This record gives sequence, C-alpha cells and structure tokens, in this order.
Amino acid sequence: MSSTAFDSIIEQIVSDSPSGEILEVYNDLLAIVGESAKESILDAIEQYNVKNTVAVDVDGNSVLLSKYNKEGTKFYDPANGISFSVDHLNRKGLDVGPYSVKLTEEQQSLLESLQKYASTNFSGDVTLAVYPIADSNKVVIILISTRNNPSNFYNGNWKSEYIYDIDSTELTGTIDVHVHYYEDGNVSFRSNKEVEIIKTKDVVKTIQEIEKDFEDLLDVSFSELNEKKFKTLRRRLPITRSKVNWGKAIGTYRLGKDAAQGN
Amino acid sequence: MSSTDSYDASLDLLRRLDPRRLKEHLQNLIKLEPSLAEDLLSSVDTPLTIKRDPKASQREYLCCDYNRDIDSHRSPWSNEYYPELSPEDLKESPFPSTELRKLEALANDSFDIYRDLYYEGGVSSVYLWELDEDNTDDFAGVVLFKNKDQSSSCWDSIHVLEATRDGSDFTYRITTTIILHLDKGDQMSLSGNLTRQTERTVNVPAAESVTEEQLSVAHITNLGTLIEDVESQMRTMLEAVYFEKTRDIFHQTKNSAPSAEEMNKEAHQELIKGLQGL
Repeated sequence: MSSTAFDSIIEQIVSDSPSGEILEVYNDLLAIVGESAKESILDAIEQYNVKNTVAVDVDGNSVLLSKYNKEGTKFYDPANGISFSVDHLNRKGLDVGPYSVKLTEEQQSLLESLQKYASTNFSGDVTLAVYPIADSNKVVIILISTRNNPSNFYNGNWKSEYIYDIDSTELTGTIDVHVHYYEDGNVSFRSNKEVEIIKTKDVVKTIQEIEKDFEDLLDVSFSELNEKKFKTLRRRLPITRSKVNWGKAIGTYRLGKDAAQGN
Repeated sequence: MSSTDSYDASLDLLRRLDPRRLKEHLQNLIKLEPSLAEDLLSSVDTPLTIKRDPKASQREYLCCDYNRDIDSHRSPWSNEYYPELSPEDLKESPFPSTELRKLEALANDSFDIYRDLYYEGGVSSVYLWELDEDNTDDFAGVVLFKNKDQSSSCWDSIHVLEATRDGSDFTYRITTTIILHLDKGDQMSLSGNLTRQTERTVNVPAAESVTEEQLSVAHITNLGTLIEDVESQMRTMLEAVYFEKTRDIFHQTKNSAPSAEEMNKEAHQELIKGLQGL
C-alpha cells in the first residue's frame, strides 16, 4: 500500500472516532499497524482535535483548540492572554507563554454572559470560547459539553459553533450531538443542525432559544423513532398476542392465515 | 506484535467507530493488516444482504459469511449456490449432510412462520452445518432475520448457534447480534448493534429411541423457544438502550434550566409531598 493510501485510512479511522475515545483508538491502531505508524496516527489526531474543537488542559484551565486560535504549530487563548503548544494525544498544553492579543471588553463580557448561560443549561464538562476572527469585526463562539464515562461504557458530546458579525448583527452556526454507548455492543446517536442566519442584538438569548428548541426537538424525535420506526420493525408479541406454539403444529398458523385470506 | 493483539485491537476499534460505517471500517482494517481478513470476516456481524433464488420463484434469502462460498451464497430454499458455481468449485463447496439438510428445511419452514408472526414482513433464512464429521448428533448453524421499512430503518437479527449432546441432554449455545438502524431522515440517526450469549440445556431423547422426524421437531422446538425468548429480551434491551439510555446520556451534556412554570410545578409537588408527610 502507498503511504498516501495508508495515511488516508488512518485519517478515516481517527476522524470517525468518538471524541472521548481517541486514546483507545490510538492504542488499537498501534497494535494493528505497529510503532512505525505512530507519526501518521498522531498527525491525524492533531487534525481531529482542531476540526472537532476539543478542549485541552492548559495549566488547569480548559481551552478549546480550533482553526481560529491556531498560529503556526501553536495555539493561543485570548481570554487569558497566553499562547501554548499542545500534546495532542493527551490533550495537554505545553510551553505556556504570554500572548499579546487579548479579548476586547465587549468580547470578554460576551464570554462571561455565555458562561453564565452554560452554567445553568449544560450538565456536562463545559468549555467555552470566544475568538476574534482576524481582519473582521466577527467573533466565533464555540461551546463544548462532554460527559465521558468509560467505566460505564458511554460518552456524550455536545458541540455548538457560531459566527457572530458585530457590524451586521448576524448569527450563523451549527450544532452537533454525538452519544456513544458501547457495553455489549456499539450504539451511536448522532444529530446535527444548521443554524440559518438570524439577526440579533442579544446573542446569548438567541443562542439559548436555538439550543432549547433543538433539545426539545431531540426529545420529540426519540419518542417518534420509538413509536413510528422501532415498533413497526418487530412486534413485541406475535399478531396472535401469545407466544409461538413451536413443534409439529406450527404449520397450522399458516393454514389459519391462508384460510383467513380465503386461499 | 502478535496477531492476537491486532485481532483484539481490531474488534475494540470496531466497537468504537461509527456503526453505520462498519463495513467500510472492516475493509479498511483488512487493508491495513491483510492477515486479519479471515478472522475478522468470520467473527464480525455486518448487516445481511439479500439475494433471490431463481429455482424458488425468485424468493428472497439472506446472505452472510456462513452460507458463502467464493462470491456465491447458498439458498435455503433450493439448497443451491447463486450465482452458480463452476462444477469444479462446486465439488469443494460446503453442503449439509442429507439428514442435516432435512432439519435445515424444517427449521426454515418454522422460522419463516415465526418471522411472519413477529415481523409481518422481511426475510428469514436458517443455515446448518456439521460440527464434526464423526459425530452426527451435534450441529451448528445460524438463524437470520431482516426487516426494513420504506425509509432506511432496518433490523437484522443474527443468531449463531451450536447444539451438542451430552448423554440425554442437548446444550444449545447461541450468540445473538441485533443490528438496528433507525433513521428519521432529518439529520438524526440512532444506529448500532448489541450482542449477548445464551445457553440452555434440554433433555432430548437418544437418537435410537425416537424417529428422525421426532428428533428434528424436538430441536426446532428447543431452538425456536430459545430464540423467541432471546429476541424478546433483546428487543426490550434495545428499547432501553436506544431510547432511554442514549437520551439520558444526551441530557448529561445538555439540560436546559427548567422554566419558571416547571419550577412552580415542582415546588407545588414538593409542597404536596410535604403536606402528605405531616
């Protein structure tokens, strides 16, 4: 296999992994392809972390990685005025140093309002970011809420990401939800929503409404999938409402059915 | 690196990656490590495919690794492989013995009725094979069901079984995997598989003391009852995991603060509880 084809398979596997299980996926891949592929896997994980805006621990603070706060191989956190390198596998910040760009007062107050909103509306481990977008009067708002519980074989991840244009007051974004349950199996729930352009002066209130609506919609969808899809795929009890009478006489079901249909 | 390690690691990976793309991931793992192909293909259950049997009025049957030879699959209705194999290849193809084929035919008839009663549609197929040429009592097999709706929601049941005699008892060991994919079509999917193992020992008269037909009926009754029980339990389990567990985990990430109205209601209920406690 060519090295490009090899890297592409590694990348496909890593990019399909649940966020809370990257370390296990890394170890599994090493066991399959051997130590020589280490760099290739780590490269894929680095891309994954930026694309999925994972949270890393920087001196005890949780900071989100994204293309918006990346500069060369380093990342920065304008809220705390720091720059750092990342151990992508262990999600840890290294070589922390000062960074000149800080949030404006307006951006800082937006971050604080969002933190207040998140503290009462999210139940997982929440990490928030407001990053200014260079050469524009726009900011990106990212909210990650995770619940990793490997000892009970499940992980949950919420991600919402918005771009807010301060001049035009336009907000757009996406929400992605993923739940993975893997005790005696592998069950995955995924949902996402595109948030169309909304004009708003109160960003936090609008986000709160969008996210509450989405949450309510998912609750309804779970019931609908159960009632309208699951129940029609296989009955709880046979049409006869009693368990099957196995053995030689089982053919009488067919006779009964044929008779009912007038055959 | 031993092959056991990479095999176990592959199974662990497949338990983590998106179950909707299981076949793709399986192929990718085999590309990464071709020596895993045989073990993985025979142990990882993937959604069943459907073929038609030209010798049985184009009746549908289910295909998996257990009824496959080269790129053909044996039909449980006519007992022939499709697409047709060359005479040379066919000489090497696996078929059940004449006796076992009789049991297989009876199993197909019976489970087809069961399918109709529970699924009201779909396809079923049963395949049996000898465990050991010198021991005609014991056998292994697989019982399959597949049911789809008009959208892409789909249920696949795969029951891999082994029946072994010990004196006057038969022990039936079944590994069941149900692959369930539910799709609402509006950017929401609930998809995956659950597996469990079951074992039951039942008294079955010795082959000398009953007719072949009586023995077959006893096997089908035992297997049928067991599979019916397992599917009922698994259906309950699937319902709990898919609709309660995943929803609960979702709310462990996002849980809106109750509205003022809900808070009032709760406070009201607390008050009632408090009064009742007096």
